[in-house]
Amino acid sequence: MENAQIIGLSRQVALRRELDFIANNLANLNTTGFRGESVMFEEYLMPVAEMDSFRQPDRQLSYVLDRGTFHNFDQGNVVTTGAPLDVALQGEGFFVVQAPEGERYTRAGSFAIDNTGTLVTLDGKPVMGEGGTIVFGPDDVDIAIAGDGTISVGGEARDRLRVVEFAQPQLLEKVGENLFSGTGGAPAERTRVMQGALEKSNVTAVAEISRMIEVTRTYETISHLLAKGADLRSKAIEKLGTTNA
Amino acid sequence: MKALHTAATGMMAQELSVEVIANNIANMRTTGFKRQRAEFQDLLYANLRRTGAATSDAGTIVPVGVQIGSGVRTVATPRVMTQGGVTTTERELDLALRGEGFFRVQLPDGRTGYTRDGSFERDAEGNLVTADGYIVEPGITIPGDANSITISAQGQVQAYVGTDTTPTDLGQVDIARFVNKTGLESIGDNLFVETASSGPAQVGVPGDAGYGTLLQGYLEDSNVEAVTEISDMIAAQRAYEMNARVISGADEMLSSTANILR
Repeated sequence: MENAQIIGLSRQVALRRELDFIANNLANLNTTGFRGESVMFEEYLMPVAEMDSFRQPDRQLSYVLDRGTFHNFDQGNVVTTGAPLDVALQGEGFFVVQAPEGERYTRAGSFAIDNTGTLVTLDGKPVMGEGGTIVFGPDDVDIAIAGDGTISVGGEARDRLRVVEFAQPQLLEKVGENLFSGTGGAPAERTRVMQGALEKSNVTAVAEISRMIEVTRTYETISHLLAKGADLRSKAIEKLGTTNA
Repeated sequence: MKALHTAATGMMAQELSVEVIANNIANMRTTGFKRQRAEFQDLLYANLRRTGAATSDAGTIVPVGVQIGSGVRTVATPRVMTQGGVTTTERELDLALRGEGFFRVQLPDGRTGYTRDGSFERDAEGNLVTADGYIVEPGITIPGDANSITISAQGQVQAYVGTDTTPTDLGQVDIARFVNKTGLESIGDNLFVETASSGPAQVGVPGDAGYGTLLQGYLEDSNVEAVTEISDMIAAQRAYEMNARVISGADEMLSSTANILR
């Protein structure tokens, strides 16, 4: 009797989770280099004790389970900003950033120079070049970054931005602050670097909103279903439980 | 429900973005103004099912886990220190900076301020001062009977004093540059002050390697571009609306749960 309720509940829990994802995607609609996510569901068959001696065998119950999040690694829109330390990536690569916990990877290329002349992300984490951190002197002007990531100052090559690609990018884990953690990064071969531009978030607002409508409506439908189930039960108790004294 | 809070962080971020854009547009015609930009980062993720966790004794692992993010935060509002356009004013004490550098200004509290706004004046003592009356360092005094003041691209100030037929040197305007000029702190009145992240000021003569040059009779416009700001504003506004929709969506879901039992 309660099966309908419990299965409905499993779907509702999953839908709430999906809305959490949509909310996070939309909250990061204008976050530089943000990669959207979607959630994958799976049917979970309840292992029931089967009894087939009745005319109608026990039916299997299937619940909903969210099994994984899928990172969307599509290219985001690239907008030109004109700032020399804004760099966008075209392709599947990532910049390498030195976080306190170790190397992290990011698509957000809005960099700055700190007081020691080091190239850093906007929250102060050093950006890695082929030869370690990238340091500029006080007299360095006209910083140019070429398509392959080569950084030159006044026409003289200085270092090269480290850009890595992953054979299995889905294994990367998001750690917040626009960073990913993971292993197995190999020097990028198919990624180009664009100076004076930033890659925006790759979340498509229309798709997220329509997904949200779907989620909220489905949730309501199941709520109705649960309400009907509760009605049915209370009626049954009323009718069957009345004793004629 | 997490979605409510996540969407709230999104709305706050977009609100801040609109505030930054409003300030840029308000200062569209402010001499030497440098536009700002709001930069965001995603917040921490909750790992509900960790990628790479074992799923069986046979060594199979979870290929993709479940990670729910908790929204967005503003990480910085960096100034975009690109060169603004220059407009001719034909005033002899108006200076535009082309390239790197800031004019140095002596603030009343003893600190040194830095500015790109070169609309200077003469005060009662003949000192070269900003429009607010703060002395421009290193301090140049222009005699009362000086005329035809010229300021060279290298910052040398000369004038014909009285009935002289040869110009007199009155001093040298110097400029400062920083390792990290985006790290300067704005204090209003078109002024910046140095901070730990900007690094110390390096004073030099205009035209030296790495320093910009001066242009007399011109002023540097703000580097705000109306089209960019308006399109950024539309993007921020729409993102705000969508986050608001998420809140009402989450609200609908909660109320439908609450209505199961009447």
